[in-house]
Amino acid sequence: MGIPGPEPYTAVYPAYFGNRINVPADNPMTVQGIQLGRMLFYETALSANRQLSCATCHRQELAFTDGRKFSAGVDGVLQDRNSMSLANLLWVRNFFWDGRARGLEQQAETPLTNPHEMGQDLAVSAARLQGMSMYPPVFRAAFGSDTIKGDMILKALAQFERTLISAHSPYDRYLQGVYKPTASEAAGIELFYGKGGCGHCHGGPKTYSELYHNNGLDSVSKDPGREKITGESYDRGRFRVVTLRNIALTAPYMHDGRFATLEEVIDHYSDHIVSSVTMSPFIQGNLNLTAVEKKDLLSFLRMLTDSSFITDVRFSNPFKK
Amino acid sequence: MRKYLLVFFVFSVHIVLAQGPSIKVSGEVTKPLTLQAADLAKMKRVTVSMKDRDGNEHPYTGVAVGDILEMAGVTTGKQLRGENLTKYMLVKCADGYEVVFSLAELDTDFTDRVVIIADESEGKPLPPGKGPFRLVVPGEKKPARCTFQVTELIVKFAKE
Repeated sequence: MGIPGPEPYTAVYPAYFGNRINVPADNPMTVQGIQLGRMLFYETALSANRQLSCATCHRQELAFTDGRKFSAGVDGVLQDRNSMSLANLLWVRNFFWDGRARGLEQQAETPLTNPHEMGQDLAVSAARLQGMSMYPPVFRAAFGSDTIKGDMILKALAQFERTLISAHSPYDRYLQGVYKPTASEAAGIELFYGKGGCGHCHGGPKTYSELYHNNGLDSVSKDPGREKITGESYDRGRFRVVTLRNIALTAPYMHDGRFATLEEVIDHYSDHIVSSVTMSPFIQGNLNLTAVEKKDLLSFLRMLTDSSFITDVRFSNPFKK
Repeated sequence: MRKYLLVFFVFSVHIVLAQGPSIKVSGEVTKPLTLQAADLAKMKRVTVSMKDRDGNEHPYTGVAVGDILEMAGVTTGKQLRGENLTKYMLVKCADGYEVVFSLAELDTDFTDRVVIIADESEGKPLPPGKGPFRLVVPGEKKPARCTFQVTELIVKFAKE
């Protein structure tokens, strides 16, 4: 009788999220892989100065953001874009603000190895973990070998991140018919999907579409955004449409963290749209919302906060006593 | 010699980048294509009319998607039978938007409706944000499949 392999893990989520999930054939989710991934997510030995982990910039209590405009790496240098929140990544196909990474395995390599982030080669990280007595058995349980390799680190992290499902907000209870929105929330939902046109990009239970749009921030975007990936001038200043799940917790906002509050974000779409050649054709100028409408929209956005997600022990630091 | 090759390589890369937007045709094709504006200009041109979001009919000119699929060696016409009827075309756009059509929806043996890749309207190139290549689907109640900035057509089998 051989050693039993890792146990398959089935992600649990509401049917209204749909099943267009992304799990690569060579990295199925397993109980042991996820457990390892959770340890690695909080492991500071993966950074060159042993002080940073993924969780430094992706703190659970802030829906896996860090509250900063730009996060600093091991060398103290700031990132050029805002750290993204992590939720419902199981459905996401292209990662980073410009969508350049196809899949979480590919994505994870950048923050681990970038000299201005955690700054350590995967081979060095693998060697460090090999020397820590707790890791080889956990790698064996997850991947059948206690010889630790860089790609196992990426795979385990990706498996863990795929479990970060946020689906217990008041908005979910509303979708399930067990929560009656307040008058302001209901008006906000109507505005979001109606006059506001927000639903065009952020519509549906997942509150994002896999799209890249220029949302009228600048007349000429300083950051090329998607253009850097495609080389096409029509992609200038286009960035991924991000999820609005837990948005009240993930300030500051936009790719460059320019807005400190959700009120400022709403003011932007209401009053400060800057037209440019590459601005999304779905933005037709300022929405000119009234003060009450702005408040209603905010009420709806706050419905997307999932308090159980930010306290779920399965996503928390396993090393914290 | 190596130096010359390198120069040639750098030059070629430059050419590719300078060519501008294109439409890639791939998947269940016998001849993968990458079509630029100049290629579409050489193909049979058709004009169709479509109601835009403004509620008015507008003429759009370009190339029938059926012709592009035929050029790529996709199973069209008499070949569009049996398992080939489980094929679909995925349209991908620069902003990440995607829509699908079954091949039968695009085939003149099945329908008189002509879906085109348009590159001009009323004699003018399409406006920024919508062009250079827009899918124009006449006769649909919603223009949601009339996608902007088409970059890829991918033909696949539906597998379940």
